[in-house]
Amino acid sequence: MWQFIGKIKSWWYLVRQLTLVEIVGMYKKSFLGMAWMFILPVLAVVIWVVLNGAGVVNPGETDIPYPAYVLLSTSIWGFFLEAYRSTSNVLTQNGRMLIMSEVPFEPLLMQKAVVHLINFIIPFVVNIIVLLAFGVRFSALALLFPISLLPLLLLGMAIGMVIAIFRIIMVDVANLTDEGMKLLMFLTPIVYTPKISSSWLEVIVAYNPLTYLIGFSRDLLTSGSFYMPGWYFVFSGLSLLLFILAFRFLLKSSTIVLERLINN
Amino acid sequence: MQTIGRPPDTTLRPEEFWAVNDVSFKVAPGDIVAVVGANGSGKTTMMRIISGIYKPTMGSVIYPKPLKVTPIFALNVGLRNEFTGLENIKLKAAIFGMTEAELKRKLDFIIDFSELEYALETPVGNYSSGMRARLSYSVAIATEPDLFIIDEALAVGDSLFKTKCYEHLGEYVQEKERAVLYVTNRIRKVMALANRVLVMRGGKLIQDSHNAKAALEYYINDIVGDNMTDDLREMKLQKIRHFEM
Repeated sequence: MWQFIGKIKSWWYLVRQLTLVEIVGMYKKSFLGMAWMFILPVLAVVIWVVLNGAGVVNPGETDIPYPAYVLLSTSIWGFFLEAYRSTSNVLTQNGRMLIMSEVPFEPLLMQKAVVHLINFIIPFVVNIIVLLAFGVRFSALALLFPISLLPLLLLGMAIGMVIAIFRIIMVDVANLTDEGMKLLMFLTPIVYTPKISSSWLEVIVAYNPLTYLIGFSRDLLTSGSFYMPGWYFVFSGLSLLLFILAFRFLLKSSTIVLERLINN
Repeated sequence: MQTIGRPPDTTLRPEEFWAVNDVSFKVAPGDIVAVVGANGSGKTTMMRIISGIYKPTMGSVIYPKPLKVTPIFALNVGLRNEFTGLENIKLKAAIFGMTEAELKRKLDFIIDFSELEYALETPVGNYSSGMRARLSYSVAIATEPDLFIIDEALAVGDSLFKTKCYEHLGEYVQEKERAVLYVTNRIRKVMALANRVLVMRGGKLIQDSHNAKAALEYYINDIVGDNMTDDLREMKLQKIRHFEM
C-alpha cells in the first residue's frame, strides 16, 4: 500500500496530465461537449419513470418517490460499475505506454480513479437538484455520503484490476464479466427495493454485498439513517482487502502482462 | 553497469526462445555505445531490460548508485493528435517522469532545442513526422539522464536536426558522468557518434569494441554479409573505411 502511495506521489504530474487529456479529449470531438455529463443521467431517469408509469416494473415500497429512488440508486450503481469498467481497461488502453516507457501501473490506476470521480461528481450535482425537486430532504449525516462510497470504489477497482489482466491474457473471462455486470445490476436493489416479494431473488439480494454497500450510501443520503451497518462495515473491510490483493496480483502478473502486450 | 550473466538453467516451453542470453558488459561515464545487430538479435529486449521496463528471467542490471535513466523506444508514444504542441510537451514530460516544477525550469530549453516555437499552438496531428520526433526527443533529453537509451528513435527527423542531436550527445556525455546507449544499424550513425560498439547476434553479445570501424566491419562481414551481394558488402565496407562527417 505504501509503495502504491509513493509511486502516485512521484508520478502525480502524469496523473494530472493524463486526467486532463482524457476529460478534455472525451468531449473535444462532440458537438454537445460536456453537456453529455448532464444529459445521460436525466435520460436514465426518464427511462425508468416511463417503465414505472406503464406498470412494467413493480419496485416494491420505497421511502422516497420512485423516480428519485431510481435516480439515486442508478447513480451509486454507476459509480461502482464505472470504477470497474475504467480500471478493467487500464492495460489495454495504455499498452504501448507500458511497453515503451518506464511508466508503472500505479499512476495509470490513479488517473482512472480521478477521471471516474470527476465524471461522477458533475452529474451527481444534477441528481441532487432533481432529488430536492422530488421533495427529498437531506440531514447533516448526508455529508458522510462521499466517504460511504469509498468501499464501492475499492471493490469496483479490485475486480477491474483482475479483469484488466484477463483482458490481455484471456479475453473470454473479461467478456463474461462485462456481461455478468449487467446481470448483477438486476440482482442488486437498484430499480426495486430490498423488500421484494420474490423468494429466490430475496435470497440473492441478501447474499449480495452490493445490497449493503449501495443501500448504506443511499439511506445515508435520503434519510440520514444507516442501512445494515454491521454488514456494510464487514463488506467495506473485505473490499479494502480485495483491493490490496488485486493490486498485488497485478504487480505479480506484470511480466506475463508485458509479454502479452508485446505480442498483441 | 553489469547485465544478465548466468547461463540458462530454466527449461523453455516449445514456443519460447532466449531473446537475450548470457550477456555481460559494463558501461563507463563518457561512453556512447552503439548496439548493432540484425533483426531479432535481442537489441531492443536488452535495452528494455536495462531501462527496467522488462524484468530479466534471470541475471540483473546493477547500477553503482541511483541513476536517472531515460529510454526512448518510440517517439510517438503518448502523443495526442488533437492537442497542441505545448500540451503534448507537458504530456510527454510527465510520461518521462518529470514534475511540473522541473518542466517549468526546462521548458525554454525544450522549445529552443526542438525549434518548434512557431508551432506550439498547432495540434500535433498537423505536425510532420520530423516535427513530432523533434518534440519528443527534446523533452527526453531535457530530463538530463545519467544514462540515455535511444532505440532507433533517431531514425526519423530531418538530417539537420539529427546532426544537431549527434553533436549535442557528444557534448552531453562530456559535461557530467553520463553515458548513452543507442540501437542502430546505420553505418553513418555509428561512425558519427559512437566511441564503442556492441554487436549482437541471436541474443548474444559477440563483439564489444572501442574501435567502431573494426566492429562495423566485423558486423558487415560476419553477420549481414550472408544476406547481401559482394558488391553491396564492398560498398558498405568502403563507406566505413572512408567515412567522413
